[in-house]
This record gives sequence, C-alpha cells and structure tokens, in this order.
Amino acid sequence: MIEKGKISAAQMALMMHPTIIATGILFVPSISAAKAGRDMWLSPIWGSFIGFLVVFIAYQLHKHFPNETIIEYSEHIVGRIPGKVIGLIYLLFYLHVNGIIIREYGEFLSGVFLMTTPESVIFGSMTLVCAFAVRGGLEVIARSAQLFIPIVVLLFLLIVFFLALDLAPTNMLPVFEEGITPSILGAAAPAAWFSEFLLIAFLLPYLTDKEKGLKWANLSVLSVVFILVITNVTALFLFGEITADLLYPVMSAGRYVRVAEFFTHLESIIMAIWILGTFIKISVFYYALVLGTAQWLKLSEYKFIVLPLGFLLVLFATWSAPNLTELKGFLGTSAVFYLLSVQLVLPSILLLIVVIQKKVIQKRSIQA
Amino acid sequence: MKWAMIFGITILTALILWYELPKINQNQKKDKYVLIALSAMSWVLAVLLLFFPNMPGPTELVDQIYKPLGKLLE
Repeated sequence: MIEKGKISAAQMALMMHPTIIATGILFVPSISAAKAGRDMWLSPIWGSFIGFLVVFIAYQLHKHFPNETIIEYSEHIVGRIPGKVIGLIYLLFYLHVNGIIIREYGEFLSGVFLMTTPESVIFGSMTLVCAFAVRGGLEVIARSAQLFIPIVVLLFLLIVFFLALDLAPTNMLPVFEEGITPSILGAAAPAAWFSEFLLIAFLLPYLTDKEKGLKWANLSVLSVVFILVITNVTALFLFGEITADLLYPVMSAGRYVRVAEFFTHLESIIMAIWILGTFIKISVFYYALVLGTAQWLKLSEYKFIVLPLGFLLVLFATWSAPNLTELKGFLGTSAVFYLLSVQLVLPSILLLIVVIQKKVIQKRSIQA
Repeated sequence: MKWAMIFGITILTALILWYELPKINQNQKKDKYVLIALSAMSWVLAVLLLFFPNMPGPTELVDQIYKPLGKLLE
C-alpha cells in the first residue's frame, strides 16, 4: 500500500467534522435562509439524511474491498477502462472542488480582513501549509485535526454563548407557515455539503479499528448536524429573515457580540475558527486528491506529486469563478446537483453493481 | 509585466522540479515522467490564465451541464 500511516476511527471522525462545517457554517446559513426562510433551522436535519446515506454506501463498498480506496475498487467493479474513467472523474472533481474551497477561503479572508493583499498570496500561503501537512501523510493531518478541532468547537460554542442574551426566539414563529416544502428546498445546500462524507472512502482502508468505522462516521455526521443546527438557529434568532441577505451570517454575528463592554467585536475568533477548520478541510481534500492520483497512475509513492498538484490547486482556485457573487450563485444551484451526482449517485451505482455481481456469483455456485 | 510573471512562474516550476526530482528513485522512470508532466501542465495553465484570465473554466462547464436541474433551485 502507498499509505503506510494508520489512524483510529475517532481521528477519522475528527478529520471529517471540519471537512463539512468549515465552509458549511459560513456559506450554508444564508443559502438555506434564501429558500427556507424562518424554517431554516430544520434544513440541516433534512440534509443529514444524505450524510447518513453516503456514509452507509461508503461503508458497504469498504466492506467488499477492505484494503482499497474508491479509486482502486472502481477498477475492480466495472473493469479496467471504465474504472479508470470513474477514477479520473473523481480526481478532476476533487481538483475542482478543492479549488473552489481555496477560493472561498481566499474571498472570505480578502473580503473581511486582508483587503489589499493579492489573492494569489492568500491562496498560495494556505496551499503551501496544507502541502506540508499532506506531505507528512495521513497521520499528520489526523494529529493536527485532533489538536485543533476541540479548540474550534469550544470557541464556536463560546460565541453562541456570548450571543445568548441577544437571541430572540420569536423570530422562528410561525413555524411551517407554508408547510415543510420550504425547509426541504433549503436543505439542498446542506445536503450537498453532507455528501462530502464520501471522503471517508479514502480514509476507511487505513483505520486501525475498522469495526468502529461506521459508528464513528455516523457520530461525525451527528456532530455536524448539531453544529449546523446551532449555527442556523443562532443566525435566525439574531437576524430573522434578513439572514438570506447577509454574505457571512456567522461573521456578522461575531461582530454583534457585546458582553460587559469587554468582549466586543469577536470577529477575530470567528476568523481563528475559520482558518483552523479550513486548514483541515483543504488538507483532507488535498490528501484525497494526491493519494487518488498516485493510485490512479499506480505510482510507487505520493509525496513528490504534492507540490505540483498544489500549484494546480492554486490555479484552479483563481480559475474556478470570476467573482464571489457568481461563485455563491453556483454553490446554491448547479453545484448541489454536481456534488450529489458525483458523491452520492456514482457510488450508489458502484454499490448496486457489486451487490448484483455477488448475487450472480452465488447463484452460479449453487447451480454448479 | 506579464513577461516578469512568466519568469516567476517558470522559476516556481523549476524550484519544484529541482526539489523533487533528485528525491525520486532512479529506477522509477514512471514517477519521473508523472512529475514532469504535472509540472508542465501547471506551467501551461498558469501562462494561459495570465494571458486569458476570463477563459471559461471547469465551473462554467459544470454549470452548463447541470443548468436544467440547477434552475429548480433558483
């Protein structure tokens, strides 16, 4: 195997948590609010069904091919050439999506704090840090997640706690004014984010305690639902329906904090949460891309393609969208179907083929 | 100005190659070709983006494919 590192199932759950929420807490509340209005607090719960489904599919595929990632077993399932095509789809997909993530990070940082810094510097410095983590291997990413994520979650809950006095729960009334349809439509963006749980297909083969993989992956989905619901509830109670018009509701909430005239303007804490979370998020996607490329081309190791792929990622970040408004429009509409078709539909088709193949083989052996 | 940028891109690509190439095992010919091909791809894409910054990219392609479905959520 190319990757010699081993991680525990709990570390995998800690890595996957920021992989969803890092950009999730910044972009998803306002995208959900645009569709769901006052019922936006329910949208992440609908979206989480996709998360559990993707975890289930990835785990079932993993049970059939315990020591392989999705790039390797797709070749075994559909044959060499179609398998290579599916592998290429995944590699291009992760290259593109990671480019978009780096772009989101750069747009946020340059829009809120570093207004005169050229974006290529912001993209490049973050990608370089992530490149060091990826070069270090799976264990390094897992350890940094273990170190940072408790801090991220604590700081996030601290912000919500400081805001508690300003929350107006009446903002959510009347509940279900137009039935549950708006909340389901608002779940489209969270569902697309939850489908990123397919990344566990790249981590499951390297677990030390494989039997706990499913349990911890589901716990990770639950923790993401918890944080996303808290985010949406806070944004809703604080801003009401104007959440849809805010670019970064959580950032605006951080500016709103005012406790005892001492804790004011906590946006730098939001920034710290965001940078730590995004670091893990980009690293996990970057790792999947690098490992997948090495397995797709059957290389002897993956370390030497980290830097060239990082260069490509920075280029894709600049190439991925002309400006932030168009990027956000894309994320709210076509990207939902893009993410779902690659991360949910394609693996389900693979799983279906595996199950049918096994059935046919069983039948034949009975007849013989 | 653009020529200076091309010079910078070339230096960056050369630095990556200069750092990574000696580390690859001499017997692994394939690894070497992959590294050179990836670096060449990045160099070409960087220069293209420098001259045509508004070149339609992967996002436009995906947007074209999924537009009929994406309209449902507008």
